[in-house]
Amino acid sequence: MPTILLVEDNEMNRDMLSRRLQRRGYEVAIAVDGREGVEMARAGGYDLILMDMSLPGLDGWDATRRLRADPDRITTPIIALTAHAMAGDRERALEAGCDDYDTKPIELPRLLSKIEALLASAE
Amino acid sequence: MTDPRFTPSHGLAGVAELRHELRTPVNHIVGYTEMLLEDVEDVGHPDWQEGLAAALSAARDALVIINESLPPTRQAAISAEELSALHDSLAQPRTRILDTLRDILESVTPETDDRFASDVRKILKAADRLGMLESLRREPETTDEAAPAPSDGTGDDATSALPRGAGRILVVDDLEENRDVLGRRLEREGYTVVHAENGRRALDLIAAEPFDLVLLDVMMPELDGFETLGHIKDNPATRDIPVIMISAADDMANIVRCIKRGAEDFLPKPFDPVLLRARITASLEKKRFRDQEKQYLQQVNRVIAAAAAVESGAYETGELSGIARRADELGRLARVFDGMAGQVKAREARLLDQVHHLRREIEAARDSGEMQIPGLDFANLPAGQFGDRYEIRAVIGRGGMGVVYRAHDRELDEVVAIKTLRPELVSNEDLIERFKTEVRLARKISHRNVVRTHDFGEWMGVYYLTMEYVEGITLHDLLEQRQTLEISSTLALTRQLADCMAVAHEEGVVHRDLKPQNLLLDAEGLLKVMDFGVAKLAEGSTGTTEVGMMIGTPSYMSPEQLLGESIDARTDLYAVGVVMYECLTGKLPFEARSPVSLIAKVLNEDAVEPVTLNADIPPALSTLVMELLAKHRDERIPSATALAERLSRIG
Repeated sequence: MPTILLVEDNEMNRDMLSRRLQRRGYEVAIAVDGREGVEMARAGGYDLILMDMSLPGLDGWDATRRLRADPDRITTPIIALTAHAMAGDRERALEAGCDDYDTKPIELPRLLSKIEALLASAE
Repeated sequence: MTDPRFTPSHGLAGVAELRHELRTPVNHIVGYTEMLLEDVEDVGHPDWQEGLAAALSAARDALVIINESLPPTRQAAISAEELSALHDSLAQPRTRILDTLRDILESVTPETDDRFASDVRKILKAADRLGMLESLRREPETTDEAAPAPSDGTGDDATSALPRGAGRILVVDDLEENRDVLGRRLEREGYTVVHAENGRRALDLIAAEPFDLVLLDVMMPELDGFETLGHIKDNPATRDIPVIMISAADDMANIVRCIKRGAEDFLPKPFDPVLLRARITASLEKKRFRDQEKQYLQQVNRVIAAAAAVESGAYETGELSGIARRADELGRLARVFDGMAGQVKAREARLLDQVHHLRREIEAARDSGEMQIPGLDFANLPAGQFGDRYEIRAVIGRGGMGVVYRAHDRELDEVVAIKTLRPELVSNEDLIERFKTEVRLARKISHRNVVRTHDFGEWMGVYYLTMEYVEGITLHDLLEQRQTLEISSTLALTRQLADCMAVAHEEGVVHRDLKPQNLLLDAEGLLKVMDFGVAKLAEGSTGTTEVGMMIGTPSYMSPEQLLGESIDARTDLYAVGVVMYECLTGKLPFEARSPVSLIAKVLNEDAVEPVTLNADIPPALSTLVMELLAKHRDERIPSATALAERLSRIG
């Protein structure tokens, strides 16, 4: 099954989302902040990254930019997760190098369809 | 009417923060409720489905209310009236959620999946948080520091707006309401809070988990705050945790008592939020500095321990890597130290290898079976009693100064060497006195490469020295067997020689008679130098340096020694050069049929460079030997320390 890297600092959100994805058969790896997310993504082995945008320290925007600017070109698809649809957030996310975008609260079927679409196009 | 609990927040940041604080618990309610809905079949309770669906719907309603009241596009600040209205409108969905989930929790039995029950509790906790609208109360002066990072203003997480890693605080109070009020305030400030309802429980918690700060009520039943404080401060493991006492403002006597006992500060009841924040921040800041200082000192100690480890040979390169990453001076010290230790270790490894070669050569010489001392004349002393203390066992050598015996020291039950002195060396009181002086001087040198001199004595008119007995072979005998030594063996030998010469010269003792007969090697390849300073006595006994009166051969003597000039450390270094020359080439730098022609050569001719005689000798080593053999001491390598340094650069 595909492996998803979930970059999320809030424990409850991590717990919820990772459990729900695991129930649907995904392997889920966890990074608790942007820096760890970048390190793990660089190490490779993930089919997709779910990136919370408001992270302490290195936030999701910067983490994504950093991955996309990496000399090794990390091309793993990234879905940005933000708390609320601020006007222009979607554009910002795509501009930073995300492949898609979703808002919290997570509606699982919606998020799953985005994940599946990206995984299918990556194949 | 305006609810006095609510103070309006200011500006957009305040709105975003409020939205975030309200949405976070609602998002958690939605998420966990959805999960429970997926699980109800599995836990065998399809009857809970309806209630959970109602709770989910209520949570979604709450989200709609929040989004409508506080749309992300909103620029205007929120008023106290609006805040109050929002609180009221959220009350209904919140109550629905609480009622439903409490019902479910009541029906949970021990058979129900633990995780399910725990998720229900998480939802209840989130709903509780949503109800604590008083937590949104903001003192205007604190709004700025509590505002979320302005990066996107959409923080979704309860903690993202708060200082990260602010600290773990233990609140100890017997009154639940006090704990609750304090705990919630502190959590809102971003601290992790753990509660204890009495002193005993507090001490257990402190022993089990790390805390950055303890808030300790003074008046508690049983173990009161003062006693609890005493336990914390008496235990070295917990002594450094700052404790702030909680007490009634008028209880100054207790406050003073506690501060004397080591409390950091006190907080009067009822709590003033501003004072609370200020005192806690100050205490934690102080603790952070102390921790930093402690860590720094610990790291300094590790560097010191590493130095001891280098000395004992136990240091592993890289042991300080953690400290070496520091950006400050200590980090630099650790990096430099680690690098140097690495070099020392490499050098030691080379030395070990060289000693190993030397040992092999010694073993080979022994195996040849020709090491027995040729039949010596026992005439001087018969085997047997020597004074009250010693028993002669065998003659082990005979030199210009006398005969050397192996003897048993009955007093100390150990083997010693006894060297008797030719009568003319000790023919009058003056000479004996000088002999004693020299022995005292030689005894000052304590070095593993020097044969220890024990005593000077007289028995039946025979003057003698007792010394450490070394089971070994002289370099003279070794060279006789093998003609030359390997280059690495020569380096191993010379290094040891240079080391002990450096110590002796430092003590002001010049050997004066270094030659292969005086250099003993034990089975491990350890060099032992004999007869320190004794040669001077031989000179003294004749009062001259006439060739005819010299002990042994002039082959190892420097030009200044042959000319009767003053002697210094560099005289020994010349002799070291001759010894090296002989080890490497199997020849002496100058050889002649008679002492007179030998002396002429030493004074006037240049030796053939070692490398010419043995092409395997590294040029640097050959040059070094030639520098030691310089006719004028000013042109020689200046000291034994400098020689050791040069040797270490060669290999």
